[in-house]
Amino acid sequence: MGEGINGLAFPSFGPERRGAPMRAFTKLSTKTIGDRSAVSLADYVVYLDDTLLGEDWESELKPGGVVLVNSARVFENPQVIALDANGISQEVLGRPIPNTVFLGALSVLMGDEVLPEESLREAIRLYMPAKLHESNFAIVDEARRVTEELVAEKGESAKVATSAEEAQAEAAPAEAAQAGGGCAPEASAPAPPEQNALSPESYAHNTCFEAGYLVAKNAGWRNIRPVIDPEACTGCLQCYLYCPDGTIYKTEHDPNREIPRLAGQLPFSETHKTPAANEHAVAPVAVDYDFCKGCGICAKVCRFNAITMEPESDFGAGQEVR
Amino acid sequence: MKQTENLSAALPPTNPAAPLPPKPLTAKTLPDDEFFFGHKGCAGCGGALVVRQTLKVLGPHVICALPAGCMSAVGFNFPQLSFANNAMITPFAATASVLSGIEAGLRAQGIKPEDCTVVGFAGDGGTADIGLQALSGAIDRNDDILYICYDNEAYMNTGIQKSSLTPFGAKTTTTPAGAHVHGCLTRKKNMFQIVAAHDIPYAATASIGYLNDFIKKVQKAATIHGTRYIHVIAPCPTGWGTREDETIDLAKEVADCGLWYLAEFEGSQLCGMPGGKYIVNRRPKEFSSVEAYLRRQGRFKQLDENDVQEVIRERDIAWAWLDDLATGAK
Repeated sequence: MGEGINGLAFPSFGPERRGAPMRAFTKLSTKTIGDRSAVSLADYVVYLDDTLLGEDWESELKPGGVVLVNSARVFENPQVIALDANGISQEVLGRPIPNTVFLGALSVLMGDEVLPEESLREAIRLYMPAKLHESNFAIVDEARRVTEELVAEKGESAKVATSAEEAQAEAAPAEAAQAGGGCAPEASAPAPPEQNALSPESYAHNTCFEAGYLVAKNAGWRNIRPVIDPEACTGCLQCYLYCPDGTIYKTEHDPNREIPRLAGQLPFSETHKTPAANEHAVAPVAVDYDFCKGCGICAKVCRFNAITMEPESDFGAGQEVR
Repeated sequence: MKQTENLSAALPPTNPAAPLPPKPLTAKTLPDDEFFFGHKGCAGCGGALVVRQTLKVLGPHVICALPAGCMSAVGFNFPQLSFANNAMITPFAATASVLSGIEAGLRAQGIKPEDCTVVGFAGDGGTADIGLQALSGAIDRNDDILYICYDNEAYMNTGIQKSSLTPFGAKTTTTPAGAHVHGCLTRKKNMFQIVAAHDIPYAATASIGYLNDFIKKVQKAATIHGTRYIHVIAPCPTGWGTREDETIDLAKEVADCGLWYLAEFEGSQLCGMPGGKYIVNRRPKEFSSVEAYLRRQGRFKQLDENDVQEVIRERDIAWAWLDDLATGAK
């Protein structure tokens, strides 16, 4: 890197696709970086979507570390700095691409010694096409201005006590689709397979018809959710027909009906009852919010305007942290 | 003498055991069971809808095989599986061969359930480029398999590279758009004609925008013995540069503007006519705007007026050809 500092950056993701939450790690050190493993404790954690900021956020942070989150909300916790990065970017670029905002913010927090503003501009010149330079400089300026104000408000506690001599690391749970995919809260880690699930005997059984199924929840992808208006729903089932993920199911107007995967055949269905949210007003169809990715196809194919896509933050995602 | 003739002579023209419902399945009558569930496809994935609906139609005894491609990448997540039916991954080029093998193996062991369809789901690259010779071989042997090509018009799994089913003018990472060349220069290979030229017992084109038509074709294919091929357009929001909720709309529009047609081919084995029979399932009275269809997609952003006119010209040629075939006036 330009400042005589070594850097290492890498992402971590599986087979999931656009819109899925993913993590990326950046390590900076004055020494050569030999450890290529993921960062478990970071000086800075950047959340590019506020629905990803969940209960356990402190466990990934070094003592005195700082969380940066893309949110229009105000957080009381001095360790959490919220920037309306989507808003800043929308204003300048006309599109909500939050990453340069956080680069600008980090340059304030990390200071000139580690990340001078000029190197940041140089990086923009090097890595972005010329037509994007001015707009991204503007984003950096605005991000720096806002961050300086926030730091002044929250006091020096918001600055991590690191100097360029110390090795530092940052982890950035981000979203795969920074440039426009629907993104979503962090998926809970896949449940560890049951103790004997991988023994040849049971695995052979698992992979064939009777038991095979993906059961780790997917819904970490969503930042908007379909909400069905039982008054307007006529039960025409077009949403059920066209859902690419099979997450809309017929309720037969019974709030306690099991979600019919392959009802009764799978261990999964035992733990999977109709969501409580639908208990009072039962439409002919309901959404399995554990697996819905929020693509919005159901709302589009509904001819009766019975489905609206509503922000996930209205339903409590990312609200644990204040 | 070709082996095909022996085999097809030995087989009844239709499978009496296959569930033949009194009328086409609809949203109301489709089984509630979900066989493709919890997959990691993008939000708004067209290919995932193809797999989901096909498996719902074919029921629990369906056995599927998928080559490299999005649906295998997002459906098999060791140690979990997004399929509730039997499913396996094949080598890239071998979808149809593996289907042949599964079907022959089940029959040889005497364990093939009566309502078992052996079905493959391959993408456009896995079908028209890499898997073409295996598919051709299977049709030649008239193996008792159903081959479904979900066509999202590029190698989406590896990051949007051109395939031979990428349409003229589409921007991919291997056909980038510049000032002089505006994207893909080649035309979409006509897979429907290629398989029909084999005198395959049954072939069809479909679009997930007209899902009831697709479901009907899968149902029909399930009742036919021998090789069957369904080519279904399945838009990819990621690769086409469109919003996730537009998938179905686009799949409708591509058929409405005439750039894709919904048709069937019944081979001589099935319809008893030499050379087979073509059926057009949907002929829009008036095509909707091709330009509107192209302009709403990021991949066609750079097309100029001449390019659009070229696309329209080729559409009209394709339809004239299809109409000739369907009316038997060739």
